This record gives sequence, structure tokens and C-alpha cells, in this order.
Amino acid sequence: MEWNFLAVLSDFDLLLLGLVNTLKVTGLALLFGVPLGLLLALSRLSTFKPLSGVAAFIVEFFRTTPPLVQLFWFFFALPILVDVRMTPLIAAVVTFSIQSSAFFAEIFRGGIQSIDKGQWEGAKAIGMSYTQSLRRVILPQAVKRMIPAFMERSIELLKTTTLVSTVAYTDLMFQANELAQKTFRPLEVYTIIALMYFVLIFVFSQISIWVEQRLARSGEGTVR
Amino acid sequence: MSEIIRIENLHKSFGDLQVLKGIDLTVNAGETVVILGSSGSGKSTMLRCVNFMEVPSDGRIYLKGDMIGTERNGRMQYREAELCALRARIGMVFQHFNLFPHMTVLENVMEGQVIVLGRGKAEAKDKAMAQLNRVGLAEKAEEYPARLSGGQKQRVAIARALAMDPEVMLFDEVTSALDPELVGEVLKTMRQLAEEGMTMLCVTHELGFAYHVAHRVLFLNNGAILEDGEPQTVLKAPKTDRMREFLDGHSLFKLPD
Amino acid sequence: MGHNWDFATILANWPVLWIGIQGTVFIFLITVALGLGGGLIIGIARYAQSPLISWPARAFVEVFRNTPVLVQIIWFFYAFPILTGIETDPLLAAVLGISLNTMAFSAEIYRAGIQSIDRGQWEAGKAIGMSYNQTLRRIILPVAIKRVLPALTNRGIEVFKMSTLASVVGYIETLNQAKLIADLNYNPIESYTAVAIIFFVVLYPVVQGTYVLERMLRKAD
Repeated sequence: MEWNFLAVLSDFDLLLLGLVNTLKVTGLALLFGVPLGLLLALSRLSTFKPLSGVAAFIVEFFRTTPPLVQLFWFFFALPILVDVRMTPLIAAVVTFSIQSSAFFAEIFRGGIQSIDKGQWEGAKAIGMSYTQSLRRVILPQAVKRMIPAFMERSIELLKTTTLVSTVAYTDLMFQANELAQKTFRPLEVYTIIALMYFVLIFVFSQISIWVEQRLARSGEGTVR
Repeated sequence: MSEIIRIENLHKSFGDLQVLKGIDLTVNAGETVVILGSSGSGKSTMLRCVNFMEVPSDGRIYLKGDMIGTERNGRMQYREAELCALRARIGMVFQHFNLFPHMTVLENVMEGQVIVLGRGKAEAKDKAMAQLNRVGLAEKAEEYPARLSGGQKQRVAIARALAMDPEVMLFDEVTSALDPELVGEVLKTMRQLAEEGMTMLCVTHELGFAYHVAHRVLFLNNGAILEDGEPQTVLKAPKTDRMREFLDGHSLFKLPD
Repeated sequence: MGHNWDFATILANWPVLWIGIQGTVFIFLITVALGLGGGLIIGIARYAQSPLISWPARAFVEVFRNTPVLVQIIWFFYAFPILTGIETDPLLAAVLGISLNTMAFSAEIYRAGIQSIDRGQWEAGKAIGMSYNQTLRRIILPVAIKRVLPALTNRGIEVFKMSTLASVVGYIETLNQAKLIADLNYNPIESYTAVAIIFFVVLYPVVQGTYVLERMLRKAD
């Protein structure tokens, strides 16, 4: 058996396009998933039982069902149910936004709950409303503690986006499949994209470790 | 003397536990009232009901003659906005300071003025510096709370409350979490406030402070006011056995003869 | 939302789905055993004093944690046979990908558990004449593993969900069969909803169990 990377490298721009699309799906899912996660967390923390119940159900449902099933559902089933035109990109962004929002919700909830009750009281005592307390006092402290868990989850999200290749979105995984068929060089193609993912994710996780250590040094606790 | 706070028939329960069983109290402008009582007597709960940190189970509370909340079908209802506005008029200082660790001392004292009262930054800063001066901590304005001693933190917390120009101040065991050598500086600040004519309700274990500074001492037991009078009377010639027992438990405190 | 939900077709195709469920359970049992079992060995190796042991373990963990599991499965399916001459079928490729990935993740869980044990425990073991292995086996691991049980359960939940990825290389499991039913009966809504419900019904009690477990352990500490 002989390694031959040349055939693959000549089509490297295809892989780069895939990489860009991978980052695009990840970025969009983060963009929608994070605010949605905060909304779910606040709902779940609400003392209004129906609201917290619904939020808890959504969170648990999306945490306990496989992302690939969710993706298939949004891609194949949803368009029939509500008559929308579904593209692989939209299906992917919808799926991963909601899926990761369920995980972000738990991080937000953990972060908010980790803040000492006295902080709510201090804010309340000077006349702040719930929203003011949350925005000015609680979240600025909670978010700092959540950063490591948040980054870890974002990396998981990046890895999960490989699933979009199964509904023919041209991410890095999909492009690799195409290229492997075209060049008859699956060993080289899949090894190269494994390496590309590795470098990307390794760099992100090193940054995340560095941030975590800095936060630990500054005396900030973190939540998982 | 004009009335600032009036409490009528205040009840508070947590689940099955009745903590306050009908409190009636009127506090006049300029009065310093010290509330004594053993733990579980309901003294902190009573204080926390005054600014609705705890919502009363029953009863009425009036600030300068205006009843808080609206009555509907015999039940009191409170809107969040009304309670926020009320709390902005009543200062509160806690046992554990509850300073905001992500803000500097100055930002802590400015926060409520800017966010709640809507004051401009410049005005809020001037007010904040004036209050920090008053508690003797102007030079710590740019520090973060983590760098202050317990006594300094508590004085900042007092400045934070004062900066809102409160009509009355509530002190909830503000020296209980402090090392003994830091208690004095906080009590001194409180005494100075009392002498300047601030209306104050203080839950504390500092009998010396009660004796020397308070105009009036209350003794709470089992959710009801058992003693209410001038410190000389309540602390030296209490009417009830329960109060005498309580004072015996504080044998370290020597009242002047 | 004028859709008429029709789960009767799903029930009529139950034998098809049942084959898939069996496939899911089968691959789950293999991968969870290999993943959590193998992870213990790598976790211990990762903690070893000798860099000859700890470094390869670390490299293994980094490689398999920092690449997507789908890439691993596909690599084992298409690339591995070319490299080694060993033929892989969908089951073997998926088992390799999911197990090795899980080994890497659980190794870090075990390592964190071992590290969380007070140094005094090692010293106490040493002081009564125990060897490194004896101390590890008799004193450190029992406490460490108990402590990381919630994290391991969560990993187990992830493994169960990951089993659906085996369908990408054609292994017959629940999602694969649901897709078959959906394509034949034109009922993707019911088919994929059914799969989602199956996973939710199985995993929801487990998730609740981990919450209970966490509370119990926190109390016990």
C-alpha cells in the first residue's frame, strides 16, 4: 500500500470550501443557540410552573435524542408538517441551534445558580427589578464562570456538524466523501480531513484550557 | 414627630412555619430603633418585610402614610414595579455585605443611582464620592471589593445604600460576620448616621450599641414584640422574664450603672 | 398543521423497527463495555509516572477526543482496510469508531476521578506497605469510580445516542430501519418521531437517575 497525497492536494480547495461551510454551520448554530439557551434556562428557572415545565421538557428531549434523528426529523419530516422549503443548511442550522441550546441552557442554569443568593438580594435591596438584577449583577458574574463549559460545548457542536453531510450539505465531511469517490483515494482523503478536524479542534480546546487556567488563577470558580 | 414606617398586624409564614404572628410598629423620623431577639425570634424576617425582601403573608405596611400594595377582595397585591420603587426609597445593609464583586467600589455605589434612579453618570459619581467620604473610604473608590477588609466592605455597603438618598435605613446583623476588631468601625459609622438624624431600624446583637445609640429598643420573641421602650428601661429594667433570660445570655455585656 | 398523524403504519412495520432496535442495543452494549472498560485502562496509563506509558495514552486521548466520531467511523470503514488490509464491515467500523472515541473521553473522566482523591490516601496505602498497584486497586479506584459515576453515566447516554451514527456506514439499527420505513411508506414524520420517542423514553429515566445519583453522592461526601 502506498500513500499518495498528490491527487488529494490538487483538489484541496474543495476541502477548504467544506471547512468554511463547517465553520459557517457551527457559527450560525452558536448565533441562534446561545440566546435560545439563555431563554430556556431563564424559563426553566422561572417560578411559574407551566413555563419551567415546558422548558425542562424541551431541554431534556433534545439532550436525550440523537442529533442525527433530530436532523432527519427537521430535514425530512418538518417540511411536510408545516410546508416550508427546507434546505440542508436551514435544517442543519435549525437542528443544531435547538440541540445546542438545550445544552447551553443547562450551562446557563448552572452558572446562574452558582451565583450567591446574596447578589440577588443586594440588587433587589437597591430597587433593581428582576431583569435589571439579571442583566447588571447576575449574568456578568455567571457568564465568566460559564466560559470553559461554554467553549467545551461549542467544540462538541463543531464535531456534531459532521452529521450535516448525511443530508448533503457541503461541509468538510461531505466534501471528503465526494473527493474520496472522485479520486479513489479514501485513505488519504479521510486521513487528511481527520487531521484538519484535529488541528481545528485541538487549537480550540487548547485556547479553552488556557482561558480556564487564567480564570482559575484570577480566583474565579467555573461551572460544568 | 412625623411617621415614616407603620406596620400593622404583620404576619409571615414559611410553609407551615409561622414566623411573625402579628407585629404592630410605628417608626418616626429620626428614630434609631434596635431590634433584639434570639435566633428564630423573627427579627430579621420582620426587617426584611419592611422593604418587601420578604412579602408579608398578612398585614399592612405604610411608608410615610401611604399603604404599600393594593387591596383586592381582602387580599394584598403587590406589583414588582411598586416594590422596586419602594426598595429604592429604603436602604438595606446585609450581614454578608452583598457587594457586587465584578464592580469597583465606586461602581457599586453608582449602580443603583444610575440604573434604578436614572441619575446621570456625573451626578451619580459625585454623590457616590460624597458617601464614600462619609464612611471614610474615598481612597478605595477604584478598588474591587475582594481587596477590602470585612469592615471596609460593610462601610461600602452602607455608602451604596446611602447614595440612594433613602428615607429609612435597615441594618440586618451587619456586624455578625465581621472579625471582632472590625466591628467598631462599622458601629462608629452607624452611630454617626444616627446622630445625623437618619431613621434606622437595626437588627443586631450589639447591646452596647443598643444602649448608647438607640432611641428605642424592641425585643422580639416567637414572632411577637415582647418589649418596646427606651434602652435604659428595656435593657436595665425589662418587664418580662424572657427578656431577662436573654440579657443573662449576654453576660459579656456590662451595662453602666 | 393539517397533518393527520398515522402511527398505525409504524405499528404495522413494527418487526422492521424491532430489528433496528435490536441492532441498536447490540452495538450499544459492545461499545459501552469496550469504551468505558478500555477507558479505565487508558485513564490509569494517563496517570502513570513513566512517560513511556503516559505519553502514548495522552496521544491516544488527544487524537480521539479532538476528531469527530463520524470521521472516525468513516475512516475505519473506508480508510482503515486500505491501510491494514483488514476488511471492516459496518458493525466493526462503527464499533471501532464509537468505542475508541468513548475510551478517550472516559479515560479523562477516570483520570479526573483519580486526581480528585486526596494525596493522603496514597500515602496511607504506602504506609501500610501496599504497592502502587495495590493502593490504586484497593484504595484509590473504588472511591474515584464512585465519584465519577454520574459523568460515566452521561458518557453512556452519549454512547447510546452515538449508535445512530452507525447507520451512516449502513449498519442496521433503529434510525436506519426508520429511514427504510419512511422511504417505503412516505411517512417520515411518524417514522422519525417514533425514533425520537424511543430514545427519549429510554434515556429520560436514565438522565433523571443521574440527577438522583449526583445528589446522593454529594450528600455522601
